[in-house]
Amino acid sequence: MSALEITDLRVSRPGAQRAELERFSLSLEPGETVVLLGEVGSGKEAIMRVLGGLPESGYDISGTLKFANADADRASRHTKPHPRTAWLAGAYPSPLNPNATVLSQLSRVLARKLGVPVASGEAELNVVLRRLEGAPPLEALDAPPKNVRAETIAWGFLATAFAQTPDLLLADHPLSGLAPLHARALVAALLAEQKRAGFAILYAATGTETARMLGGRLIVLRQGRVVEEGPVERLATAQAHAYTQTLFKGALGEPPPPRNTGRGEPVLQVYGLEIQPRHKNGESARDSLTFELRRGASLALIGEDGSGRRDLARTLIGLRRAAGGRVVLDAVDVGILSENMLARLRRRIALITGDDDVLDPRMTIWDTVAEPLRAHLRLPRNILNDYGEAALKRVGLASLKPNTSIAALSAFDRRRLQVARAIVTAPVLAVLDEPLRGLDAFAQSVMLDLLRNFRSQEGPALLVITADFAVARTLAETALVLKDGRIVERGALRDLPQNSTEPFTRSLIEASGSLAQSGLPQAGGEG
Amino acid sequence: MSAIGIVSMRSLPRLRAAIRAFGFAGLALIAVAVGLSDVIARAPADATGIGPVLAPPSSQFLLGTDALGRDVLSETLHALAVTLIHAGLATAITLAAGSLFGFIAARLPWKSGVVVRWFAGILGAVPALLLAILFVGIATRDYAAIAAGLAAAPLAFSRTYDRARALSVSRHAEFARATGIQGATLMRRDLAYEFRDTFLTIAARALAAVTITLSTMSFLGFGAVPPHRDLGLMIAAARASYLEAWWVAAFPALALLLLILFARLAAALDEGERP
Repeated sequence: MSALEITDLRVSRPGAQRAELERFSLSLEPGETVVLLGEVGSGKEAIMRVLGGLPESGYDISGTLKFANADADRASRHTKPHPRTAWLAGAYPSPLNPNATVLSQLSRVLARKLGVPVASGEAELNVVLRRLEGAPPLEALDAPPKNVRAETIAWGFLATAFAQTPDLLLADHPLSGLAPLHARALVAALLAEQKRAGFAILYAATGTETARMLGGRLIVLRQGRVVEEGPVERLATAQAHAYTQTLFKGALGEPPPPRNTGRGEPVLQVYGLEIQPRHKNGESARDSLTFELRRGASLALIGEDGSGRRDLARTLIGLRRAAGGRVVLDAVDVGILSENMLARLRRRIALITGDDDVLDPRMTIWDTVAEPLRAHLRLPRNILNDYGEAALKRVGLASLKPNTSIAALSAFDRRRLQVARAIVTAPVLAVLDEPLRGLDAFAQSVMLDLLRNFRSQEGPALLVITADFAVARTLAETALVLKDGRIVERGALRDLPQNSTEPFTRSLIEASGSLAQSGLPQAGGEG
Repeated sequence: MSAIGIVSMRSLPRLRAAIRAFGFAGLALIAVAVGLSDVIARAPADATGIGPVLAPPSSQFLLGTDALGRDVLSETLHALAVTLIHAGLATAITLAAGSLFGFIAARLPWKSGVVVRWFAGILGAVPALLLAILFVGIATRDYAAIAAGLAAAPLAFSRTYDRARALSVSRHAEFARATGIQGATLMRRDLAYEFRDTFLTIAARALAAVTITLSTMSFLGFGAVPPHRDLGLMIAAARASYLEAWWVAAFPALALLLLILFARLAAALDEGERP
């Protein structure tokens, strides 16, 4: 008996030219894994919403659904999820209430699903967390979401889903935005639990790395239709449909050609920088940093959340005062400048981040692009318009109405708008903070092309902050690997996969699936 | 874990927008009636002996007459004009003294801002009516509108301060600062958007609050001074004859109720601070 049978499921918005999902059928056996892969809007979200009992209001839904041990039922806006179905949400961005602790929220969800008191729900959660290898202790969840790391929340979600002993697990992008190292550990736990309990998994994924790690059957969707279906091992090869190949090839893995930047002017000079005050005994929990970034050069700060990479980046651009040492940006000591002078200096810095809340949602596309120009340069309106339009055209947003609100844009559009804003400032230094986080494979590919184009045309020095070794290797030439505020390794990114002897660096490389696929050596472990 | 309740929450912004639009439309109608009061009203303000004493509503006097033979319709329109003008002035004072100051205070260093916020919170805990009467006692009844505006200022201050503080530490504000946008530019940006999104709500809410305060002050004898009668004073004057002639007080009260109701709807029934 199948764990789930979907027949001719169709989801459409009244008045829309194209259905979100067109006659989709699926039979999912117990213990089987099916990965739905596609861009945002490919139809996988519609499938998950219908199965999870969360369809968009006003949508037309047809087809039949049959869960294990239940009669076939017509799919509709009122379809309820089957009781033996567990929902595994993504931790980034957090879907939790910001005012209550993660633990209390997960315990309540579990208690309601199991029909037990909240305390029993918490106890169940604790049992599962203890069972899962690599999972954090229960106490780590006892804080509001903003004080809990995304990977810890993801472990909490996983444990909550497992504690429901489901027949079917609906995984809605649960690893989106997580560092590869954590994603790999979570997938290992997911597969181990599936082997133990025998539930089926229907997994909606944006990235191909997740599909590779999970294995099983892959269904590639595009514009609401199935492109092709088959084992991941086959579809990840050159025998697959051209679109599937595009998704799998992506753009990661190819390092930038080496540049001769040794003679360029220094854009960023860091001497003995300390980002945390020393203890009373004179010792510091973190290393002091000394490095130089010349015009046109690139440096990646690789490390997980909490490694100090983000504090370091904020200190470098003067948003955070250094505890010691000096930062010289464009030949000016950042530490001695007033806030106004710093603001003037920072106009030569571009920031592109993987956070989607950094653009003011009240502003329009046009205001967002024009703001740096208006703030720093007194340009005639026609020249300002030319700059803005050219930048929007380069990132592919020129077809949108300029007065479109940021709140109405997708994550991918917002990310491209950040690049357009960076282009108009003609920066000497660009800080890229997880620029590909949360994007699907196709969007990642486009975004990487835009960033490469931005680098070749504007020529800024690049400071890449990431937890993904493959992203670092694609965008930068040299790297500092950070762990718990200390530099564990530094060197050329081309050489690190072969030469690294540091276990932490090797684990980052192993977690980066693209490198593995590109034929670079792997160093043991589960890789 | 599932997104419980998200679907049903989606229709709320549209409902709020509809309520606000209805409220502003009602206020616009009242403003038109006030603007044309000299045309619509058959008698000038405070004109006695227009008709028989305490005549009930009829085709000749649509809302009846009062104890001095004044046309209640004409008097209500004139009083509504006085109330609206005084309330408008008081609202402007509330916004200037409360919202703008709150917006600027939110940009002060954190500790200074918190101290100012506490002080405003303490003032806000005192009923606005008592504060307004205190101000009138220090000045004179001629300054009733200013007193009501100042008395309502703490609430506008707190709301604006909290909102502006949240904006100043938001991720998008940090992003803007990181790319060289100066604090003054950020403040101008926030002011422009907040005027559109929040100030109108605060203004409508303040209009309702100061209208209640001003009318109550006039009813108690601390507000409007004859012959410039507002709705509160009109209701107070009708006390003696209300039991025999309900229309003398009921129609001014209805006009007052509509003014406050439309102002509250224009504020989308926003309650401001919540515990």
